[in-house]
Amino acid sequence: MKTSESFEALRRANPRGNASFDETVEATAARVRLRMANAHVADEPRVRHVRRRRPLLGFSAAGAAVVAAAAVAVIVTVGSPTGPIGVESAAAAVQKAVTLSAASAEQSGTVNVRMTHDGQPWTSRVIHWNGDDIEITDTSAGGPSSGSPMLVVNGTLYGHDPNYDGWVEIGPVSSIDPGSATTPTEQLSAIREDVGGATLRRMVAAMTGLTTAHQSDGSTIYSGTIAAGQIARETGFKEGQSIRVFPFGYVAHGAAADPASQLDTAVTVDSEGVIRDIAVTWGTWTYTVTYSELGSTPALVAPANAKPLRDVLRHTPAPSQQ
Amino acid sequence: MKEGERERVRARRFDALYQSYSADIVAYCKWRAGSVSDAQDAVAEVFLTAWRRLDDVPAGDAARVWLYATARRMLANQRRSSRRRAALAERLAVAAPAQQQSSDSEEHIVHKALGRLGSLDREVLLLSEWEGLSPAEIASVLRCPKVTARSRLHRARRRFRSAFERLAAGEHAERRNYLTSEVTAPSVTHAFGGDS
Repeated sequence: MKTSESFEALRRANPRGNASFDETVEATAARVRLRMANAHVADEPRVRHVRRRRPLLGFSAAGAAVVAAAAVAVIVTVGSPTGPIGVESAAAAVQKAVTLSAASAEQSGTVNVRMTHDGQPWTSRVIHWNGDDIEITDTSAGGPSSGSPMLVVNGTLYGHDPNYDGWVEIGPVSSIDPGSATTPTEQLSAIREDVGGATLRRMVAAMTGLTTAHQSDGSTIYSGTIAAGQIARETGFKEGQSIRVFPFGYVAHGAAADPASQLDTAVTVDSEGVIRDIAVTWGTWTYTVTYSELGSTPALVAPANAKPLRDVLRHTPAPSQQ
Repeated sequence: MKEGERERVRARRFDALYQSYSADIVAYCKWRAGSVSDAQDAVAEVFLTAWRRLDDVPAGDAARVWLYATARRMLANQRRSSRRRAALAERLAVAAPAQQQSSDSEEHIVHKALGRLGSLDREVLLLSEWEGLSPAEIASVLRCPKVTARSRLHRARRRFRSAFERLAAGEHAERRNYLTSEVTAPSVTHAFGGDS
């Protein structure tokens, strides 16, 4: 073998030659913007009075000071290769919002997921995440687990037992046996994919017939249609039927379960260029995901007085005694 | 120069720095970090440092060497803290994005051959072959004498070539064996439930 062959192979393996390299550079620009925006807020001179917590992505509002103006100029330029926003296409604007939102959501965030039927609340849940920690609370009125959050902090799962009034330390997430239902690990993995931007990118890339409506609060609503299969992924089979699940874990039904159905979709991008919510409508049903506190959701804390599950079970009457 | 004008000049300089070298720093961090996310974090920290210490960043192409040296330190810090995170990820059983494994056999051999080099040999080799740095620039990134960088590069090239050739020869032999034997793929059934 010639000497040059090994070095030619080495040069061909340069990451710059990878097909997705440009995409990585673009996505990294969003992370740099976010990091600089966060650092800019942290670098500001300390003030004595208590200020309202500013969203980490609210850097454009902080442009009054000279230094701030310079920093904003920098972070707005970084990652904006498509030129001024005025000449962007709607698709490019939504794609940019996806990139920025996904970069923000990587650290921490909150989503409120709701499904309504005929305008009435059907089911809802709130999910907070910060790093690898996550809290999922069913906020549906009268639901079986309503108001009882599931919490994972430092790899330990906490929850509630109907027979015990307080937090229960269930144990390491990895030790939960897979049964007929989705395990917490599977649920967390799916949610990680949803918050990590992959789901958002897939949905937005599939939107067709985009129209734009500017709102008085500075936000913009991008409306279009998406094939249901691009929103609700097939995750498996149950009782011989394939199951399609919306982002953040609700099973799709009706037209939403037919991958070829075209569903009306509206993506609201706020004045900071970050996705605020996504609403999908079919028939009398609406599925909405509202994002908030991206990059600024506080750290999740393990419950102070959580009781180990074995202690709760020991003091719970056996079914025959109840 | 007034303060506002000074800041605008700073911003323009930073912008030019980012536009010129961001792809280089992304490429540098991408292969060396534990995940794409870690690589992006490292790149963000590098440019944040550059913004804060813009007066220390040398002019011209020397800025690129300064950025590589900063990226190298950021990645070293990141590796130290990621050991703790790795333990957590294992407990959570949430698969961290693994270093991209190439299915292409040539690239796979390259990665394996690089893996057989010592970390410093690998670093000088990649700074030379992937980043296009001269021995003098490599010495600046590694903070070592030029003669050391030069001799280390010579040694790394020799070791890489040797490792690559051994692995490539093994790969060819393995492929021959594969083609001459009957291979039966195991049947895999994958089913899982879901909740509603």
